[in-house]
Amino acid sequence: MALSEHDVRAIAEYARIGLDDEELHEMTAYMNDAVAMLKPIVDFDPEGVEPTFHPIGDLSDVMRDDAEKPGLSLESALENAHATEGRLFRVPCILGGGGLS
Amino acid sequence: MRKLAEVLRDWEAVIGLEVHTELTTLETKMFCGCKLSHESEPNANVCPVCLGLPGALPVPNKEAIRSIVKAGLATGCAIQKRSMFYRKHYFYPDMAKNFQTTQGPVAFCMHGHLKLEVRGQGAAELPEDAPNDRFASTPTVAMNAHGGTGSLAFDEAAGKGELIRTEDGYEVPIRILRIHMEEDAAKMTHIGGAEGRIGGAAESLIDYNRCGTPLIELVTEPDLRTPEEARLFMEKLRRIFLAIGISDCSLESGSMRCDGNVSLRRRGATTLGTKTELKNLNSFKSLHDGLEYEICRQAEVLESGGTIAQETRHFEPARRRTVVMRVKETADDYRLFPDPDLAPFDLSDDFIEGCRAELPELPDAKRDRFVAELGVKRADAEALAGEPALAAFFEEAAGSAKKGAASVANVLLNVVLGQWNAEGESAASSSVTPAQVAGLADLVAEDAITSAQAREVASAMAKTGESPETIVDARGMRQVSDDDSLVPIVESVIARCADQARQYRDGNQKVIGFLVGQCMRESKGTGNPKRFNELLREKLDAAAF
Amino acid sequence: MSCFDSLSAREIARGVANGEFSAEEVARASLDAISARDGEIHALLQVTEDLSLARARELDGMRARGEALPPLAGVPLSVKDNMNLIGSRTTCGSRMLEDYESPYTATCVQRMIDAGCLPMGKANMDEFAFGSSTETSYFGKTANPWDTERVPGGSSGGSAASVASGEVTLSLGSDTGGSIRQPAAFCGVVGLKPTYGAVSRHGIVAFGSSLDQVGPFGRRVEDVALAMNALVGPGADPMDSTSQECPVDFLEHLEDGVEGLKVGLVPALSEAEGISGEVREGVRAAARALEGQGAEIIEVELPHIDDSIAAYYVIGPCEAFSNLARFDGVRYGYQEPGCATLAEQSEKSRAKGFGAEAKRRQMLGAYLLSSGVYDRYYYKAQQARTLITQSYARAFERADVLLFPAAPRTAFKFGEISSPTEMYLSDMFTISSNIAGNGSISVPLGSGPESGMPLSVQLQGPAFKDRRLLVFARAIERAFEAKGAVAPAFAGKGGEL
Repeated sequence: MALSEHDVRAIAEYARIGLDDEELHEMTAYMNDAVAMLKPIVDFDPEGVEPTFHPIGDLSDVMRDDAEKPGLSLESALENAHATEGRLFRVPCILGGGGLS
Repeated sequence: MRKLAEVLRDWEAVIGLEVHTELTTLETKMFCGCKLSHESEPNANVCPVCLGLPGALPVPNKEAIRSIVKAGLATGCAIQKRSMFYRKHYFYPDMAKNFQTTQGPVAFCMHGHLKLEVRGQGAAELPEDAPNDRFASTPTVAMNAHGGTGSLAFDEAAGKGELIRTEDGYEVPIRILRIHMEEDAAKMTHIGGAEGRIGGAAESLIDYNRCGTPLIELVTEPDLRTPEEARLFMEKLRRIFLAIGISDCSLESGSMRCDGNVSLRRRGATTLGTKTELKNLNSFKSLHDGLEYEICRQAEVLESGGTIAQETRHFEPARRRTVVMRVKETADDYRLFPDPDLAPFDLSDDFIEGCRAELPELPDAKRDRFVAELGVKRADAEALAGEPALAAFFEEAAGSAKKGAASVANVLLNVVLGQWNAEGESAASSSVTPAQVAGLADLVAEDAITSAQAREVASAMAKTGESPETIVDARGMRQVSDDDSLVPIVESVIARCADQARQYRDGNQKVIGFLVGQCMRESKGTGNPKRFNELLREKLDAAAF
Repeated sequence: MSCFDSLSAREIARGVANGEFSAEEVARASLDAISARDGEIHALLQVTEDLSLARARELDGMRARGEALPPLAGVPLSVKDNMNLIGSRTTCGSRMLEDYESPYTATCVQRMIDAGCLPMGKANMDEFAFGSSTETSYFGKTANPWDTERVPGGSSGGSAASVASGEVTLSLGSDTGGSIRQPAAFCGVVGLKPTYGAVSRHGIVAFGSSLDQVGPFGRRVEDVALAMNALVGPGADPMDSTSQECPVDFLEHLEDGVEGLKVGLVPALSEAEGISGEVREGVRAAARALEGQGAEIIEVELPHIDDSIAAYYVIGPCEAFSNLARFDGVRYGYQEPGCATLAEQSEKSRAKGFGAEAKRRQMLGAYLLSSGVYDRYYYKAQQARTLITQSYARAFERADVLLFPAAPRTAFKFGEISSPTEMYLSDMFTISSNIAGNGSISVPLGSGPESGMPLSVQLQGPAFKDRRLLVFARAIERAFEAKGAVAPAFAGKGGEL
């Protein structure tokens, strides 16, 4: 089933990528081309095969000790931000926002 | 709105909790070596990892993983050896990467349970004819297609949710679906709007100190039926987490936070109603009252023919109401997938057994031991066992007391603890020693001093460090119980307070309290109030004729 | 007096150690070559003159004090511009990070500097490494030093071109689906993608976290071996949970030869449709050359290898969507001014900060990860990954290395491939070892008889047997006498030492 411009618009809104009408049109064509190229995966029937999310062999349980390490100075932390206030990062009005929880 | 007790006669409330606990006793964050602190200046504890700078990679804190395994073991969960971290995506600047690292279908801890003991007035919230096999009507939350199978051991351990009536209440097991490991978000301050709330704020400021704090999220099955049960569950969970030392568990500061999910259905129905999610339940009282309010609100909506919207609501304790925060029209799609930057876990038996070996005696066991072996009253034992430092203090004091542990428990809870609370001290921080408290408890048990004097002695021994015996002797405080000393005082008071004496004789028994007080004052607090009471009644009754 | 571009890394380090020339003189020679050559190819986005001179002076000071010098003392190095280096910008070839300065240095870059390298500059790349031609950089294209009408390949095109043009001796690139090996092939240099986990990813801006791997470019196999010794360092990087210890001396056994070892040809790949005649002939010639040195050529099968491209274009975009979500203009990166709300600011900053391909990949990833779609694509792609990895394991039971084409053809002209999905096919021979994680290398054979452009082959080995790849690469280098060739138009231009 092909993706409509409406579908692609919804994905763009979720991914916070602004698209004008022409870009939306092109993006929709691309998405459908790309998804068509991925057909071998949809057709693939790997019943019972364990997925490999990490190509690292048997490596597991990688952990570090609970020991403090020096972080960034305030100056370094804020240096690449466009909007700050005192020691804080600043963002514009969050409308209808909502975090995770 | 109708009252809770009435509502619950017609409706069954189905309640589940999500409890977030910050692992505040660790040194560093979940995935980086930044210091954990609630006190630092904004953005003082940040690094490339927790600020989500390009190229930074996470490395899990071993102690955090050990902490969650301990939490699982202490709540009867099956520890899952194999699990992974996942990325949960949402665009919001409180999470520096715009995704939260959390766990997927398989959490470190799955399928535990806690047994609730509901007593006294709170037990009356549940109708007497409530079904006693509550798991039967709330099947376990379904796993996603690629979820783990978990362990079914919990079914045997928790039974069928059987409710057992006790002398003054009931006992019931509450299932825990899972406890997973994740990271906390940054703190945002909304400015330019009303009261720091998000609506209408002109802009927001972000402090990433809290971002990346190790957080464990416990999710219960929807097994709770009353606000009181929810409150007790949370209290019990807090006592356990305090005992195993994984967090300071402060609801006030937000290191332990609880959201409630609640829906109503007609008594006897087996399908679930539409639930709302309740937030800002940041005290045990708010947890209870917020759920109480929400249950009553839902009942009113349903009874007037309305429907419940699936939404998140904010409890406002001052106004005792809940208001809508967010309506969930469609399920959120967080694009969850295994985090490729974090190696999977395959915990060894050694790792898990190492955690188990470090588990202390849990609060229930400690309480039962205090009752059975030390003869402490059950309520006192419960209060002591729930606070690890206090329990340890008590045990040490009880060990050196000569007149029994019950008096130590009484003095510690009713005299010393009040003083600590007033002064911002605790068992861990106070200069008062267990030996001092043991001595004080013995003096009270011997009737050598009154409880009023005990407060004075406690205050003095905190300041001077002297033994209670020394203080009592130095201040001539020993309680006087011999009639030769007391009778003259009683006679003098009766003579002086002729009005009150007459009132007593006319049948006003209450005035005796005033007269005892006068005797105490005249004896400078050293007289035995019980004996004063007896002597006053003797004299007044005798003179009635 | 001769040009530094004729020297190997080892010769430069020895010259500095012996006092034939100072590290500072090498730094100035490299800076001189860059100013003489880079105008035509635009391999570098920044020349980090101060950093290179400071490092050179440190090394010269060490020598003056009689201290031992590290093994790559004074060797000029460029690094792909997705690698953090304090004192430089990390742009990823994107407007999004045009002004971004990282407050920390990537482990791979630090290890090269610790080994004595001089950080000369940051190399151009396809934006955020999405591409195979270095045409999508926000800061302009890089040209192929062998023919400036042609692409250098990508995404590490700037790294490959900076080495092929002789501006630097070594470069670091990153390879997510062929981004080291394909540009190395297009530019006629050696390019190694080590086994996933052998080199730390800490500090390189992530594209596909389970696919990305850092590796070196050089004009000689020996230079690449020396770089690998520095990159694997003293052990696993505690800052990268997926990095592993790789306790191997890559110089050791380099000259051992290939006698008695087995080279696997996969006819389904080396004879596949769409491969140019010279590429097909190149693989045969390389096989003959190895056979001539005593290796045995066998044919092996790699079942499921055909699914690599589809699996890659599922896994890559999904991980890219996730990794690039952080670029919202709040903490760093392009921020659209004057936005009233955060949502508007994020949307516009990302719309204007990212180029077309970066948006396409993120959009595709956001779709493929969505509820209901994930199970049909991402999950199955990772199952395919298991089967592809198992295929390799079976092939390596029979063969010590596999011999593939590096790319279906030699370097193409600018603009020649415009469809994104057609461009994706230029990675058809490189992708599978990113899926399985095993190491692989591009080795030049000289000029292709049809195109006149550099022609290369690719060798692939089992996981953590990357030294074996270098031994085979050295055998090919010996046979084809392609060692150390700087693109003729640039050789000796500036850079006298």
